[in-house]
Amino acid sequence: MMISSSDAVGVDLRGVRKWYGAVPAVRDVSLAIRPGEIVSFLGPSGCGKTTTLRMIAGLEHPDAGEIRIGGGLVNDVAPWKRNIGMVFQNYALFPHMSVAENVAFGLAMRREGRAEIDAKVAAAMAQVRLTPLADRRPSQLSGGQRQRVALARAIVTRPSVLLLDEPLAALDRKLREQMQVEIRQLQREVGITTVFVTHDQEEALTLSDRVVVMEAGRVVQTGTPAEVYERPRSRFVSDFIGFTNAVAGRIEAVEGGTATVTMRSGQTIRVPAEAGLAAAQAVDLVVRPEKVELNPPAEARPGRALVSGTLRHSVYTGAVTYHHVDIGAGETLIAMASNGDGHGEAPVLGSPVTLGFRPENMLVFASAV
Amino acid sequence: MAAHDLPAPPLRTVPRGERLLAAYVALVILFLALPVLIVVPLAFSSDVSLTFPPRGVSLRWFANIWARPEFLSAFALSAAVALVATGISMVAGVLAAIAFVRHTFPGRDALLMLFMTPLVFPAIVLAAALALVMTPLGLLRSFWGLALAHVVLTLPYILRTAVATLSEIDRSYQEAAHTLGADRWQAFRHVTLPMLRPGLLAGATFALIISFDEFTVSMFLVGPGVMTLPLEMYNYSEFTLDPTLAAISTVLLALTCLAILIIERLVGLGKQFGG
Repeated sequence: MMISSSDAVGVDLRGVRKWYGAVPAVRDVSLAIRPGEIVSFLGPSGCGKTTTLRMIAGLEHPDAGEIRIGGGLVNDVAPWKRNIGMVFQNYALFPHMSVAENVAFGLAMRREGRAEIDAKVAAAMAQVRLTPLADRRPSQLSGGQRQRVALARAIVTRPSVLLLDEPLAALDRKLREQMQVEIRQLQREVGITTVFVTHDQEEALTLSDRVVVMEAGRVVQTGTPAEVYERPRSRFVSDFIGFTNAVAGRIEAVEGGTATVTMRSGQTIRVPAEAGLAAAQAVDLVVRPEKVELNPPAEARPGRALVSGTLRHSVYTGAVTYHHVDIGAGETLIAMASNGDGHGEAPVLGSPVTLGFRPENMLVFASAV
Repeated sequence: MAAHDLPAPPLRTVPRGERLLAAYVALVILFLALPVLIVVPLAFSSDVSLTFPPRGVSLRWFANIWARPEFLSAFALSAAVALVATGISMVAGVLAAIAFVRHTFPGRDALLMLFMTPLVFPAIVLAAALALVMTPLGLLRSFWGLALAHVVLTLPYILRTAVATLSEIDRSYQEAAHTLGADRWQAFRHVTLPMLRPGLLAGATFALIISFDEFTVSMFLVGPGVMTLPLEMYNYSEFTLDPTLAAISTVLLALTCLAILIIERLVGLGKQFGG
C-alpha cells in the first residue's frame, strides 16, 4: 500500500495580514497555490514567511484577509480540524513515544481502528525507509532519520496540505541535498499540495514548482525557479537568489525598446529597456557571472554587449573559475568560466581582457538612491 | 635520619590539602547523617530509656507502636492529608503553570511570586492566619481544613517544578499535536502531560514529604480525632521519652527510602532534583 492523495486541493491567500503588537509581520499577502503544487516561501529571516506558513496551519490567526484551503474559508478553523500535515524546524517528535507511535499519533487522533493504523504506519515507514527503526525513540535517531520520521508522521494521515518549516536547516550539506531529492520524490508520489519555508535559495530552486520571494512581510515576486533566477523583478530578488554582479550606470537614451547606458567607467552598452526607465536615470546593472564570457571568440561577438577591462585575479573553485575583471572607475565584473570544456589557458593576470554577454542577460534596475 | 630525607615513594602521594578536604567532607557527612542513623539502633534497644549505646536488642518498641492505636490512626490521617493535599496541588499547580508559562497577562510575575510566598513566609504567621480564617468557616479541627492548609504549603513546590519543566518543553510539540488532529485537551493529555511527568513526580515527592512532616501549621489546626503523626509523636514525647519514637522514626525512614528508590527506578530522581 502506498500513501497517496488523489484529491489534492489548492490554498488561497487573499490580503492576509498579521501584526505582532505594533510590528507588522505579514502585510497584504495574496497568493494562489494550485492543487498538487510544491511552493516555497523564500526570504531572509523576519520577512514573514514562517508567519504566513503558520497562518495556513492555523497556528496563528490572521488579523485581516482570507485563507482558503480547497475553497473553504479556514480563518476560524482550529488547526486540528484543517487536515494538514506539518514538519517543524526542530521536527517536534514526541520524545516519550517510539518512532512508530509518533507516526501513528495522527491516525489515533482520528480514531481509526488498530489494524488500519498498523497498516498505514507500516506503509508510511516503508515509504521513508524507516521500518527497522520502528521501536526506537527519537533521541536514538540521527538528524536525517528524525527528518524522515517527521515527514512520515505528517503524510500518514493523508492531509490536504503538507507544510514544511525550514525542514532541512538542521542537517549538514550532504544530507540536505539527499533529503531535497527524497522530499521531491515523496511529494511527487503522494501528489500532495506542499508549501515550505526556507531561507536557502538553492533549496527553493531545487524543490519548488514555484518560488514565492518575500521581503519585509510582502511577496515581491512569484514564479518558477527559472523565472525568479533569470528574470528577477527587483534588485532584492536578484541579490537574494544567486550570486550577481552589479555595477552603477546612467541611462543616456531610451529608444525602440533599447536603452543606452553609460557605466561609471565611461563605457557604454545597449540593453533591452524595462518599462519605467527614462533618460538621465541612475540605474544598477546586474548580470550573473555565468552569463558573462571572458574573451569571447570573434565569431561569438556579434550581437553581444562587450566591455573591456583588466584581469585582476582568477579564483579557481574546481568545476569553475571566477575571473575578476576591473572595468575602470573601481568597478569589477566577474565572469565565470567552466573548467570542463578544454580551453583552460587563463589569461595572464594584469592583461587586458574583453567581457561579452547577451544584452538581455543584463538586468537594469532603477537605483535605490 | 629525618623523615623528610627519605626518597619519595614511587606511588602517587595524596597532597596534604586533599587529605584535609577528605577529612572535612567526612565530618560534614557524619554531622548530617549521624542523628538520623543513631535513631535506628535506639529503635531496637531493649532499654526503657533512651540510652546510647543500647544494652540489649529487642523488638518491643515496634510492638508498642501496634499496641497504641493513636499512632496508627495518626499515621493514616497524615498519609491521607499528604495524598489529598498533593493531589489538589498537582492539579492546581499544573493548570497554574500552563497559565504562567504559555500565556501572558497583566500581573503574571506578581501572581507567581504570591504563589511562592509560603516558601519564605514564617510558618507560624501562616499557621495563625489559617486558624483565624478556618474558624468561622467551620474547618478548624477537620480533615479538609488540614488538607487545604497543606495545599497552601505544598503548592509552591509543585508549581515551581511544573513551571521549570514546562518552560523546557518547546511549544512546537503541542503545535505538532494540533496539526496531527489533537484538540487542546488531547494535546495536553497525550503530549504535554507525559512530557511533564518526570518534573511533576519530583515536585509531588517534595510535596508529600513537606505535608507528612508538617508541624507548625498543623499544630494550630488539629484537635481530638484529627491528629497528625508528627503531633501525635510530640504529644507522646511530652509524657514518655522511650524508644517508641525511635521505632516510629525508623519505620518512616525505611518507608522514605523505599519511596525514593521506587521513584528513582521510575524516572531517575537524581536527574530531577540535581542537574
